[in-house]
Amino acid sequence: MIKFSETQRSLAGIIAVTFFLVVAMPALNLFGSEGSFLHISDYQLNLWGKYLCYAVVAVSLNLLWGYTGLLCLGQGLFFALGGYAFGMHLMLMIGEQGAYKSALPDFMVFLGYKELPAHWIPFKSLSFSLLAVLFVPGIVAGVFGFLAFRARIKGVYFAIITQALTYAACLLFFQNSFTFGGNNGFTDFKTVLGNEIFAPSTQRALFFISAVYLSLCLFLIWWLTKTKFGKIQRAIRDSENRVRFSGYSTTTYKLIIFVVAAIMAGIAGALYVPQVGIINPEEMRPSKSLEIVVWVAVGGRATILGPVIGAIFVNWLKSYSTYHYPEYWLIILGALFVLVVLFMPNGIVGLPEQLKGFYRKHRFRFQQKKEAAAEA
Amino acid sequence: MKFLRGVRAGAILSAGALLGLQAQAEEDDTVKVGILHSLSGTMAISETSLRDVLLFAIDEINASGGVLGKQIEPVVVDGASDWPLFAEKSKQLLLQDKVAAVFGCWTSVSRKSVLPVFEEYNGLLFYPVQYEGEEQSPNIFYTAEAVNQQAIPAVDFLLEEGREKFYLIGTDYVYPQTTNLVLLEYLLSKGVPLRNIGGGLRRDADGEVISAGTYTPFGHTDYQQIMADIKKFAASGDAAVINTINGDSNVAFFKEYAAAGLTAEEVPVVSFSLSEDEFRSLPAEDLVGQLGCWTYFMSLDTPENEEFVANFQEWLATADVDGIEREGRVTCSPMVLSYDGVYLWKAAVEKAGTFDVDSVVKALESGISFDGPGGTVTTQENHHLTKNVYIGETLPSGQFEVIESFDEVYGEPFLKGTFSEE
Amino acid sequence: MLFRFHNLIISALFLLVSQLSADDTQAREIFVEAILAEGSEQTALVESLSTTASTLVPDFLEAWKRGDIFLLEADGSAAPTPLLEVEPEQEGGTPTYFRVIDGEEMAAGSFDPAALEMARPSRKTRRVFTMTIDLLALSTPNVQERADAALKLGLKRDDDILPKLILLRETETEPSVIEALNEGIAVSMLSHGTKEGQMDAIQLLRDENSIAGLDALKNLRHDLNDGLATHPFSEEELAKLTASIASIESYISWTDFVGTCFRGLSLGAVLLIVALGLAITFGLMGVINMAHGEMIAVGAYSAYISQTVFYSLFSESTFALETYFLFAIPFSFLTAALCGFILERTVIQFLYKRPLESLLATWGVSLILQQGFRLIFGAANRQVRSPSWLLGNVEIFDITFGFNRIFVIGFAILIVFGTWFLMAKTPMGLSIRAVMQDPQMAAAMGIRINRVRMMTFAFGSGLAGLAGVFLSQIGSVGSNLGQSYIVDSFMVVVAGGVGNIVGTVISALGIGVTDQALQPLLGPVMGRICVLVAIILFLQWKPGGLFPSKSRSLD
Repeated sequence: MIKFSETQRSLAGIIAVTFFLVVAMPALNLFGSEGSFLHISDYQLNLWGKYLCYAVVAVSLNLLWGYTGLLCLGQGLFFALGGYAFGMHLMLMIGEQGAYKSALPDFMVFLGYKELPAHWIPFKSLSFSLLAVLFVPGIVAGVFGFLAFRARIKGVYFAIITQALTYAACLLFFQNSFTFGGNNGFTDFKTVLGNEIFAPSTQRALFFISAVYLSLCLFLIWWLTKTKFGKIQRAIRDSENRVRFSGYSTTTYKLIIFVVAAIMAGIAGALYVPQVGIINPEEMRPSKSLEIVVWVAVGGRATILGPVIGAIFVNWLKSYSTYHYPEYWLIILGALFVLVVLFMPNGIVGLPEQLKGFYRKHRFRFQQKKEAAAEA
Repeated sequence: MKFLRGVRAGAILSAGALLGLQAQAEEDDTVKVGILHSLSGTMAISETSLRDVLLFAIDEINASGGVLGKQIEPVVVDGASDWPLFAEKSKQLLLQDKVAAVFGCWTSVSRKSVLPVFEEYNGLLFYPVQYEGEEQSPNIFYTAEAVNQQAIPAVDFLLEEGREKFYLIGTDYVYPQTTNLVLLEYLLSKGVPLRNIGGGLRRDADGEVISAGTYTPFGHTDYQQIMADIKKFAASGDAAVINTINGDSNVAFFKEYAAAGLTAEEVPVVSFSLSEDEFRSLPAEDLVGQLGCWTYFMSLDTPENEEFVANFQEWLATADVDGIEREGRVTCSPMVLSYDGVYLWKAAVEKAGTFDVDSVVKALESGISFDGPGGTVTTQENHHLTKNVYIGETLPSGQFEVIESFDEVYGEPFLKGTFSEE
Repeated sequence: MLFRFHNLIISALFLLVSQLSADDTQAREIFVEAILAEGSEQTALVESLSTTASTLVPDFLEAWKRGDIFLLEADGSAAPTPLLEVEPEQEGGTPTYFRVIDGEEMAAGSFDPAALEMARPSRKTRRVFTMTIDLLALSTPNVQERADAALKLGLKRDDDILPKLILLRETETEPSVIEALNEGIAVSMLSHGTKEGQMDAIQLLRDENSIAGLDALKNLRHDLNDGLATHPFSEEELAKLTASIASIESYISWTDFVGTCFRGLSLGAVLLIVALGLAITFGLMGVINMAHGEMIAVGAYSAYISQTVFYSLFSESTFALETYFLFAIPFSFLTAALCGFILERTVIQFLYKRPLESLLATWGVSLILQQGFRLIFGAANRQVRSPSWLLGNVEIFDITFGFNRIFVIGFAILIVFGTWFLMAKTPMGLSIRAVMQDPQMAAAMGIRINRVRMMTFAFGSGLAGLAGVFLSQIGSVGSNLGQSYIVDSFMVVVAGGVGNIVGTVISALGIGVTDQALQPLLGPVMGRICVLVAIILFLQWKPGGLFPSKSRSLD
């Protein structure tokens, strides 16, 4: 019997998922005949594209929470910031095809703006916008993380102030006077990189990019866990003070991870916006960020594929139950979280191990009983 | 034998994907229409009633033979007060269920979220709730009140009552912001000086006013400071408050209003987001004498309305819908406009002789009338409706006493910049 | 319950139909004429009602405005008879009709109610209703009403009314009414008076600190600047006017300041009540209780339930309305405590060692409860009415102190005191503190830690329930009630220092006052954002909050 190491097994899993998402799904969409069981419709593919973006956010949170022990309740903020940065570019690309045939985004026209606010102008350039997708979440995370980690805010405190941060940002973006479209956010995009945004080919391409990006993130994390950096990361999670006393600057490590996770989420946001067609401050609500935490917990924290499975499973469940049991979906989701926390601390991925454990325990007891009976 | 953990995970993913693929059977003697409202989340309070009245209208039509000989099959989906989910659900309705028309949305943002979907896949949406205008999509019919069918008649009424000062307050989203900007232009054109408009102005770098009034976030609960401001503003008499606060916050607003010792006599409040249905969850006693302006009131004294209310109540008692509330139900303008929408669609389909969206839109644009509970409504070429406007005073029972009416007001979505100072 | 207020109006109308005096007879005759008249004639008749000394006029005008006056067509060319419709006391009964001219009840069956036509006042006429009522109020014996009417009429700056007010001032004896008359006359004088009259008015408004007069003063200055004023002012006179405006404005900013302090205190008290339960469950016990908001909602729904129970027991009487709230306070505490108890036993007791995961589990519970509320109580919010002793306000120096706001401050003091007493002075409190500090050691000393944790969590949840009762008085009761307060509660507890009740008190009051102070400057939203950012920055400076718990251990 061949024994695989943990890393080898993870790698195999990543490769399997990559193959499935990057090759199999687009192929089934392109070549599967309509109506057949194996065919994936454009609608399904688009839906899965959205799930994959969510999965990346979950992966980024897992990097923070699962591997470093930093529970961030504001991961949705970075996701949304990336989305807004790219959304601004998409808004400007609408050009004069909007309802008012004006070069300004529609919401500015009906709020009486005469010209584009200065901070919007650079977003006309695609490369600037793409850099903003990286840098806006990165800088916000950098500044916030620097302050928080320097003051050695951790654990519950860190969780709660990240929640306050995303809540404050949510209120800020809800304001119409903040020039980011208020409650409506950005919508009614027409083109992305010159392609018609709703064309199946565009959506397929976006799905493909999301799938590749997710796979890259998974490989990155897999690689990280093998490096010394990854080891220190996990050591911080398990006992930060010991790491610090051993001479490592835990603040720097945590800051780097926090910024990387924020950028990872930001890019996911940028991919999410053209696929969903809207970005608004709802994404920054504290409850959205809590949902992300739940995806990770449901899938299995500190595992490589757990967050992906969690994000896709919970969102699929959400889509399914809002369609079939609209009255009960909150209860289903709520009960799921409670059950996972209480009975499945390792999530879906850990479930087989757990069951095996039960089975062994049970068998052991059973044997004991049998032996006891035999002795008697 | 130990399985590869990763492969197993991959297998779970694939299983999930296949679960998502659902074959939909199509039947020939029915036609599907979509109902897209939030049945959970913050907007459920308001939108669930619209689902109910839509199902009622569909049952009514089915009982009388359906449309073009086909029974209507409603597909109800939950937008869950989640705006991207609205876009997802509308795609689902148009692409998977292939519905002939969709009735839905309440908030402006949900409409903005689905608008590109409807335009891309050439769907047809009927939108029933008063809104800020400034929009006219070829794939949407706005049975809703436009600003000139609600806010402007209400202000006219207040001006005639001798009110000279106006305090603008609303929830910070696009409807209040835009409505107040239109009202600001309108008030100035009626000779009300800028200093008599309360709530504050925001100007851009050139000194152009880009926002008028005070705005609070959704779910705001603390109106102490704002009420103190209103009290100061109203101290010199003849003031009125124009309220575009949405939902729950109104309770906090009016409780604070009462606690500050203000009365409808002294400082009347005209609210644009409060209809009979909202009064089910608001203490109407605190609002007695305050004004409302809609294109329908439940208290309208017409045979059409009486019949509609009675039939709806009867339907509610026996309707087989999950979690439907049967007790203490009322009717209100967004409900009636949803109801009108279904009948207008039916009439248009019959006129066009087909369910094809383009032909139905053409039929609607040609002007179709329906004698609804709120009076006759007629579709216009600009995708809005001509309808009657009523101004009512709140009664302790949560009903309105109609005190003024304007007949056949033409719905005009683009108002900004159309008023000039006299 | 919906019909209670209506009944008040109806009883007023019964007075209308029963009294008969010379004045009333005259008034009735004018009413009938006015109802049948049209256009400007109708308006003039309504205006002339103010000269009658009848007390029926306001009720009559109210009934007319509400559409309770109907016309019974007479045979032939005779004028129709105006009737007053009175709604039946019970729902579903038939209304009764009274003749306006003499108040006689119409015998049922003597006419066909379906043939009645509603008589509506014209829009122009409706405009003079309020003025007519105010003019009449100038001669009522009620001092407050008289004063209010005098001021209101003065603020109209009407040429015709001014002499009436001046005339009235000579005979008036009540000081408060004279004051109001003076203020009103002064405001009118600014528009219509002579130069001397204007100067006197400017002085008087300044002395009276008249907020109501500020607009008139400013308008005068505008007119002077635009050259529209009737009398041009000299430099000196203009300076006087400006000084008067400045004086009133500084008075306003003073009242604003004091008012803001009070409003800040009351908001702080709300935050304190809301956060105190969390200070126990989260601060002391370390459970990140995301279902705290739903415990608040449980309290609020309990208030709704007690209101419903009282209404069904004592019908919709004033007694029920006045007393249900006193019952609701302990009832909410107990229901929320019971829910907390169940939550602790079923979920939280397994998670004391995994605090971050208690966050997830309790969030799940919170989702379940939210939807549960919707399924049980319906999606619509529920109305909880305030007893009369929580309505109304006192006004001191133009600052409004609402009774509900005063109540919340007192309520907060009481709860904090109670909690302090329990924690510091009772054996129960001693064991709670012991278990929270070192559970193993406490267990070794013979304290039943499971029971203590259970009780503590129930107590914390009970406090959340109390918060719910109060919130039902200032906002709506709905399934999302708790969500709007959850972030705030956590911020209060964290900023105050986890595990420290004094810190919670100080931070709640601090946040409340800061929030209210920033609001007028930055608007309601930016004010809140600034408070949140300030808290985040504050925590960088003092990571343990105001009063960090001292410990030598790491992690």
